[in-house]
Amino acid sequence: MLSVAGLEAGYRGSRVLNGLDLEVAEGTVAALLGRNGMGKTTLMRALMGLVTVSAGRIVFRGRDTAGLRPYTIAKLGIAYVPQGREIFADFTVEENLRLGLVGRPGGARRVPAAAYRHFPVLAERRGQRAGTLSGGEQQQLAIARALVGQPRLLLLDEPSEGIQPSIVLQIAASLKQIAAEEGLTVLLVEQNVEMVLSLAADCAFIENGRVAARHAAAELRGDAAILHRYLAV
Amino acid sequence: MEQLFILTLDASNFILAIILVAMGLVIIFGLMNVINMAHGELFLLGAYTVVMVERLGGSYWLGLVLAPLAVGLVGLIVEELVVRHVYHRFLDTILATWGLSIAIKQAVVVAFGPASHTVSSPIAASIEIFGAPYPAYRLFIMAVALLVIAVTFWLFFRTAFGLAARGVIANRDMAACLGINTRRLDRATFAYGAALAGLAGAVMAPIMSVDPQMGLGFLIPAFLSILVGGAGHLAGPLLGAAAIGGTDTLAANLWSPVVAQIVVFTMAIVVIRLFPRGLAGRWFGG
Repeated sequence: MLSVAGLEAGYRGSRVLNGLDLEVAEGTVAALLGRNGMGKTTLMRALMGLVTVSAGRIVFRGRDTAGLRPYTIAKLGIAYVPQGREIFADFTVEENLRLGLVGRPGGARRVPAAAYRHFPVLAERRGQRAGTLSGGEQQQLAIARALVGQPRLLLLDEPSEGIQPSIVLQIAASLKQIAAEEGLTVLLVEQNVEMVLSLAADCAFIENGRVAARHAAAELRGDAAILHRYLAV
Repeated sequence: MEQLFILTLDASNFILAIILVAMGLVIIFGLMNVINMAHGELFLLGAYTVVMVERLGGSYWLGLVLAPLAVGLVGLIVEELVVRHVYHRFLDTILATWGLSIAIKQAVVVAFGPASHTVSSPIAASIEIFGAPYPAYRLFIMAVALLVIAVTFWLFFRTAFGLAARGVIANRDMAACLGINTRRLDRATFAYGAALAGLAGAVMAPIMSVDPQMGLGFLIPAFLSILVGGAGHLAGPLLGAAAIGGTDTLAANLWSPVVAQIVVFTMAIVVIRLFPRGLAGRWFGG
């Protein structure tokens, strides 16, 4: 469903991704692990069209998306939950969710009740300003906002960052259920190994802007040495 | 009592006229971070659309309807040819639109000559208010301004377009990642802002001398009212225009127009010093 080959991308004066290859199969949850500064977020931003791709290919459902604008990529069915959540703090919870819909064909005005199903706390707070929510609630809002547009592929960047551990597990459980129910494909960037192992079937380790190794999550559970090699500082 | 009422009416008239001009300016600035120095010339084009329509035998009212459409179209073309290329380069937007303003002004001089034209008031009647005659056309201008304010607020706070536009203002990249076509929004918003300037020009034409310099007279108080009111919120120019227009009319009445200018600029400096994000930034936090 998503196939990245020889991807090179970065910011002015510094290339962060150096020929990265990655395959994500339809309906799976893949995780991307690695130390800080290895290019995980840059990959997410390149997939979304926010970073200019200088070489390589990104093929999503048979279509080369490298060089397309972010809104075109979103319309093809890729949704993005960025690091730091980037919710619209001055807007209400409901307006945030509506913003996840306005770019869709048809541009539905009303948020379907199903959008709140996995995140009941958002339904309670729908009229509240998003900036007043707790970190965990904001994260749930960012995920719900991405899902309300019914994407095929969800890009999740560090969903556990700055959130209490109990909420992290709860979010992981919701995500697992949603992915299973909707057949959603997920690419997850995450430092929290517990969350990764509970969600992902497949893990890629990124080092210096390329994928250095791939392992099934089952393998990692039994072998702490692999995790140590790619994640320990 | 009557004098106070007439003074209030005069002040409201000036305030609403400034708002009419400032609204388009603040929409373009808020959404695209472009300071449109050519806004005064778009105003000018609105007035000249009326002159042109009348010259061809059309009525003032036809000109009033055509002006926002024609100037909106000019806005669309200008966005595509010039402004689009200088987004993200804040200083260059000022230079590019300033150049554009000179080009438009000179084009008008070439087409219509440097002399001033008059557009006769389509509503000649006066209405007696407290025994003093007040031109009915001025009341019409106020009604148009109120309508523009209502339509603009409805558009930005009650429609899906407005939600998307406010989303782009708040976080352009994230809005794009949600599938919002930022290009189309930029185009539509710039055209809408331009159309408002064109409408303002056409509405004000009968009470001004229509000449190539007419844009400047309203652009300065409009810019000032945005600075004072704050550019971060649509309510900014409303508050700013109320402060600028109210002070100006009051001071001009008490002393003289020259003193009024001094008072207005002093007030603007004080307000900007105390509330760098403008009055709306203080009250609405936006």
